[in-house]
Amino acid sequence: MSDLEPADYPRKVLFVAGAGRSGTSTLAGLMQILGLHVPKPEVVADETNPKGFGEPRWVVDHHDRLLKEAVVQVSDSRPEAWFETGRICTREPERIKTAEWLEQHFAVNPELVVKDPRLSWFMSLWRVAAIRCGATPVFATMLRPPAEVVGSKQTYYANRLGSAHLAASWLNMLLHTERGTRESDRVFVRYADLLDDWTKSVMRVGEELQLQNVLHANSEAIRDGHRFVDPSLRRVNQTLEDLNLPRRLHDLTAETWTELNKLAEPGGDTPEVRATLDQLRETYVDLYAEAEAISRSSVVAAEQRTRRQLKGGGGGAGGGAPVPAYAADRLPHGLRAMVPPKVRRGLRKMVGKERR
Amino acid sequence: MSAHFSPEGLKNLEGHTDYDIVWPWTRPGGLRPGTTAVLRVKNEAPSLPFVLPPLLRACDYVLVVDNGSDDGTPDVARETAEKAGLADKLTLLSYPFKVARAGAEHLSVHELSVHSLAYFYNWCFAQVRTRYSWKWDGDMVLTSEGEASIADLGWQVGDVQTIIRVPRHGLYLDGDSHGYLDLGLRNAEEWGFPIGPDFVYTKAFEWEVRTTPERVRSIGLPHGLCVELKYLDGDEFAHWTDPSSFATSYRNKRKRREWAVFNALKEGTVLPGVHEIHAPPGVHIVDHVTQDWLPHAPRPLEVGTVVTSDDRR
Repeated sequence: MSDLEPADYPRKVLFVAGAGRSGTSTLAGLMQILGLHVPKPEVVADETNPKGFGEPRWVVDHHDRLLKEAVVQVSDSRPEAWFETGRICTREPERIKTAEWLEQHFAVNPELVVKDPRLSWFMSLWRVAAIRCGATPVFATMLRPPAEVVGSKQTYYANRLGSAHLAASWLNMLLHTERGTRESDRVFVRYADLLDDWTKSVMRVGEELQLQNVLHANSEAIRDGHRFVDPSLRRVNQTLEDLNLPRRLHDLTAETWTELNKLAEPGGDTPEVRATLDQLRETYVDLYAEAEAISRSSVVAAEQRTRRQLKGGGGGAGGGAPVPAYAADRLPHGLRAMVPPKVRRGLRKMVGKERR
Repeated sequence: MSAHFSPEGLKNLEGHTDYDIVWPWTRPGGLRPGTTAVLRVKNEAPSLPFVLPPLLRACDYVLVVDNGSDDGTPDVARETAEKAGLADKLTLLSYPFKVARAGAEHLSVHELSVHSLAYFYNWCFAQVRTRYSWKWDGDMVLTSEGEASIADLGWQVGDVQTIIRVPRHGLYLDGDSHGYLDLGLRNAEEWGFPIGPDFVYTKAFEWEVRTTPERVRSIGLPHGLCVELKYLDGDEFAHWTDPSSFATSYRNKRKRREWAVFNALKEGTVLPGVHEIHAPPGVHIVDHVTQDWLPHAPRPLEVGTVVTSDDRR
């Protein structure tokens, strides 16, 4: 293999999976520096991720659209959300779009890296796309202590959903991502290990997944890697105790983290660890079903409120929420945010509701 | 639900208590997560080396129920699973009663008889211990894309009560390196079902049918994920009473297409929608079609406009 020219490397696509804020950008960025190709254009860096995301813009938009269609959130704690995204992955038009997009980027480089925090929801779509392109799909899942992920999400995404929901979403994401990557070549990488000594972590990824660009990286690329990795990126430090989770959720989160850690050890991806993770996943599914059954009244009340609002009642007649003064206020925030600021200002002016 | 359904299980008319049916969801401990593919087979020794490896990789468990084979089918199943390193996923059972052939013979048998297709299927699926199941035939081979799709849906489906339809295409084999793939028929049947009291077998006119709740979710997979092996030198219609059994009804459109393609090929005619395929030297035609030809065929796959009833749900 070492005599091959880079253009002749076998087609391979590295999917970087795992929860957002777990170091997925750092791994994708390093892979790009070492010679794998991140399809362009990329999502532009911002203050939440100053070194860049390593995310193809098309992939983010594609996933956003599909998530909306499946009615699934990026952080979704429902076990059945996996079937909702899974069924979208079976649709032929989506398989065609995804495979065609992947195919055009193989023309640039036979080794690609695709990363997006939403990727786990669509692993099966990407696996099929890779097969259609004659490529081998391989997976790297980033691991970061759940307390840090939850803390980071609250800090950077201004998430007001509460730590219990975020911890449950982390469990749902990681337990099912682990299950969903079993049929492919895969590695698990601790974010802390990557920041502590990225050369060791990345070489293990390269060897286990046979990424030729990593195995044959030159010295300048390695220097660039050192310039890129910034240990201060790990800016959130909290423990699981800080989250004050309900006891069963706390224990399940702690146990899952312990078991996932074993997968990150060389030779740690054993049938015994998988069996334990199967049990933990089942326990989580049961816990969620119980919580869902207990909180059924909240769901019914929310459905009734929504139905009343859709009918135009606004909930005011019964002494509930006040009736919105303007039609725009009844639109979901996400929809309002899609209107360009300039147009929004114009509309506000028209109805005499300018912001001071 | 069948008129003969009972909450605990079924007792057969002949009094073979060893083969009474106990519904698996009533057993202590209930059902566990995961999927099981159930194959009811008779003389499928030539096909199983192609059928079992991708199925064993894609499912948590595979149950093969032999029904009176005399060609060494159980041994081939065991050897194939061992060779694939997946023997721990395979369960082999035997159902010793002669089962009525599809068509008129089936119609004449009571559904609580051990000779009924419905009873046979209920007995087979009562051996499943997982919450989801795939009804599979001993001659159906997954393509590489099909294997990935079935494997992923197997864990994604969880406890969702949904049916999954899988299209298949007839692959008529003329030796080890030459065959004909029939893409002239648009055919998808309901193969994925939850295990539970809403989804048991009962009797239909020509064969068995699985019950469903009145409103049930159902999703369909794309074409090009599975082929059904047909041997041009074999008797492909032995499990039917006679060809007149599928001569008239809309329900039997697939069987009539197979009859037409099979007999045309025997006479040297390739019907529209049928692709003649040669495998490269050293590659078996089944491996070539399932791992190369179909996965890389242009999408959307051009399949015929003849639609079977199941594909219209």
